[in-house]
Amino acid sequence: MHVHMKAELKAASISFQNQTLFNTHQTTPPLPEPEALKGCLGSLDGACIEKLLLHCASALESNDITLAQQVMWVLNNVASPLGDTNQRLTSWFLRALISRASRICPVSMNFKGSNIIQRRLMSVTELAGYVDLIPWHRFGFCASNNEIFKAIKGFKRVHILDFSITPCMQWPTFIDSLAKLQEGPPSLRITVPFFRPMVPPLVNISIHEVGQRLGNFAKFKDVPFEFNVIGDNVSLTSEELSNIESTNFHFESMLNLLNPNMLSLREDEALVINCQNWLRYLSDDRKSQNISIRDAFINLVKGLNPQIVLLVDEDCDLSSSSLTSRITASFNHLWIPFDALDTFLPKDSCQRTEFESDIGQKIENIISYEGNQRIERLESALQMSQRMKNAGYFSVPFCDETILEVKGLLDEHASGWGMKKDESMLVLTWKGNSCVYATAWVPNEIRDHIGLNAHV
Amino acid sequence: MVDLDNVSTASGEASISSSGNNNNNQTPKPTKKKRNLPGMPDPEAEVIALSPTTLLATNRFVCEICNKGFQRDQNLQLHRRGHNLPWKLRQRSSKEVRKRVYVCPESTCVHHDPSRALGDLTGIKKHFCRKHGEKKWKCDKCSKKYAVQSDWKAHSKVCGSREYKCDCGTVFSRRDSFITHRAFCDALAEENAKSQNQAVGKANSESDSKVLTGDSLPVAPTPAAITTPQSNSDLPENPPQIVEEPEAIVTTTTAAAAAAVLNANCSSSSSTSSTSNGCAATSSGVFASLFASSTTSASASMQSHTPVFTDLIRSMGCPDRSADFSAPPSSEAISLCLSTNPGSSIFGTGGQECRQYVPTHQPPAMSATALLQKAAQMGAAATNASLLRGLGIVSSSASTSSGQHDSLHWGLGQVEPEGSGLGPAGLGLGLPCDGDSGLKELMLGTPSMFGPKQTTLDFLGLGMAAGGSAGGGLSALITSIGGSGGLDVTAATASFGNGEFSGKDIGRNS
Repeated sequence: MHVHMKAELKAASISFQNQTLFNTHQTTPPLPEPEALKGCLGSLDGACIEKLLLHCASALESNDITLAQQVMWVLNNVASPLGDTNQRLTSWFLRALISRASRICPVSMNFKGSNIIQRRLMSVTELAGYVDLIPWHRFGFCASNNEIFKAIKGFKRVHILDFSITPCMQWPTFIDSLAKLQEGPPSLRITVPFFRPMVPPLVNISIHEVGQRLGNFAKFKDVPFEFNVIGDNVSLTSEELSNIESTNFHFESMLNLLNPNMLSLREDEALVINCQNWLRYLSDDRKSQNISIRDAFINLVKGLNPQIVLLVDEDCDLSSSSLTSRITASFNHLWIPFDALDTFLPKDSCQRTEFESDIGQKIENIISYEGNQRIERLESALQMSQRMKNAGYFSVPFCDETILEVKGLLDEHASGWGMKKDESMLVLTWKGNSCVYATAWVPNEIRDHIGLNAHV
Repeated sequence: MVDLDNVSTASGEASISSSGNNNNNQTPKPTKKKRNLPGMPDPEAEVIALSPTTLLATNRFVCEICNKGFQRDQNLQLHRRGHNLPWKLRQRSSKEVRKRVYVCPESTCVHHDPSRALGDLTGIKKHFCRKHGEKKWKCDKCSKKYAVQSDWKAHSKVCGSREYKCDCGTVFSRRDSFITHRAFCDALAEENAKSQNQAVGKANSESDSKVLTGDSLPVAPTPAAITTPQSNSDLPENPPQIVEEPEAIVTTTTAAAAAAVLNANCSSSSSTSSTSNGCAATSSGVFASLFASSTTSASASMQSHTPVFTDLIRSMGCPDRSADFSAPPSSEAISLCLSTNPGSSIFGTGGQECRQYVPTHQPPAMSATALLQKAAQMGAAATNASLLRGLGIVSSSASTSSGQHDSLHWGLGQVEPEGSGLGPAGLGLGLPCDGDSGLKELMLGTPSMFGPKQTTLDFLGLGMAAGGSAGGGLSALITSIGGSGGLDVTAATASFGNGEFSGKDIGRNS
């Protein structure tokens, strides 16, 4: 493979040098970087780029700065924020590596200020469009909402604890389906935690206001509705709030709120726990308490006797302490959204660049940070499932209706999106590759209580 | 393509479990399906690379008896039965067929790489046509073109059949995106506001005290019509409640929460909101509490945006602690403000508005000068868009951050230095590879490609000077790469001890 590639590169470079492409210094020069180099770099495909990234990473880990910078130089010439999928992805990875390098090799200039990816805030309607750009989020919404719908049948009151990084985007369609119930909608109460990890997508208004809009909508649909925020009365300095290291602190505080009292749970309401892209941010380190925040959360939530717990996240193992394995895993996973966007958005599309930038932020966190600052700690779907089982949950298979709904959803998007069933998991696929998984869980006690053996 | 359980290329072939003791051929052991790493097909799969002609050939499976061609193997088998072959010849070869994955013949394609192969022959055929083929099928109603006939058919079914229109004017082709949008759209908020304004008296007095002049609701991308919204959507007709006061529970919660936050705000000087508001007058502190946003404040959004702008500028002037993640969203909002009209949503949002829910990080002191530079840069970016893009420079809104005082030269449409300061010759020499010849070849191959690139940048009068003066070491590389641009190039004098790429090695051929 290498020999083949080398020959191709040499051949390409010879013809390349003969081009007069760069001699035209006119008003509208052609696109030298992405297009002209494309031919040469054509054989510098994903696998090669991945190798280069790994070389760079291991160079950094072994403090071989010279090699690191050489590889970076090459990568820099491959990378292009406006190029094709690989080039764009590479540019974010390179940026993350540089950011990491700057921590190892501090430089006497204000590097921090200029290389940090922007925090972008969008309006709530923009966020609504954002989650519908590709089925990445909507897949989880759709699968979860359908299962919730089934699980609350017969209850007059429903209480949803929503833990998600896309605040409230899941619920309008749910409210809409409740409104259509022949016997009239149950009353709906949604509770969200005040704190949310500082990761995109971020909105420019408070969660209270988002909830209030949702309330407007529910009113419009004649669904009795209540919206609560817990944990917003902790007074913290802004430093503490925005410091990413404080993520653990906030989660710990939040754990204290997960009891029936604080949540004002009622006997007659169906409790639903909805976790979207959430568990990955809960730390998995066992500290002095012998239990990690992640496990503590799962256990606490089980103690609330929910009717159903929905767990949606990305199927990718980023929990390793080895940088190289994280690079491999994230590179092979995150090309998917880049590729998906490439199929229907032009190279200079703002939406696309912003979406990619958000992913780039995640890449930076995954690669450039360690310890408490590295908050993106995804584990694979299997690992997460095992964790839930260990905690005493029973996995509920998705019913046929849900599968039909999800299929219908995917049909409305670009072809290439697919879905597969893996035991009790529903997995969103892009060109056959797994992206996002959705699972539904019931505490073993509840299952026994309501005789749930085969989910009809 | 929607295919349930798509790890199924080999599922046609039953694997006969031959455990010696009993004849359990009827119930083969359920083997746990191996989960593949995302993006990587089964490592043991057989990778097939077909040429474009073979790939697109419609009748790959040919009957050996009569030479009739078929698109699918199953069809061929069915056909062969009709020839009344002797039993032996009828059986297919019993060797297990390995799972097959297919690569795209197009060398520049991402799926040309075996590790990105697709598991489905139909899939790769469709992909090849879609991506690299000619779009021969055209929709009658709209102008969309398709390379694959089934795509075209699927589209024609849906095209124009369902359309959902929000009161704000945005049109959606999918119901779920329409509903989600509608729930949060200002148009709905206004409709409710109207119905509440018509309510007798009882607007929530608590909320009133917190309603400020600034707008607390972001303006939708297409400004909501202030006229009575026509519900031409297909949602069931729900006449707004005319006489009722706002849903008690909702506003109580909001008011209570708002009260709580206000208390928090007042008590702690550095509020959870942007600290810039903390150092601005208390009015902006109160302004910061958006929780005041009951529906009555929707009417406030109709007022001018000027107070927002003033507040933004004021808070910009307030230096904040430097954050690890310096927060350009506000500056971006400002720079975008400067270049777009005040009616735009981005303006309306203003990073400042994010309060307790998402604390903003104030950028390091962004003076008026810097703001103007940024504006110039935005303006320049707009006009020189093609040039900048042509040289692979992303638009500044995506990658630059605030507080770049050297962004002045950006405004002149210069290119960010792209690491060309490190000449190819330097890279070609003495490559201290750690024994991995693959890497060496990778990198040896590339330098010559980038020679001409230097020329380009030379023409622009950049890059060389920047790179050259940067000295050696990692800092120089970082400088010259200048990931997000705007790195203070002249300050990159940090030496690093590894003088590999000092000036002498730079093979300038200009």
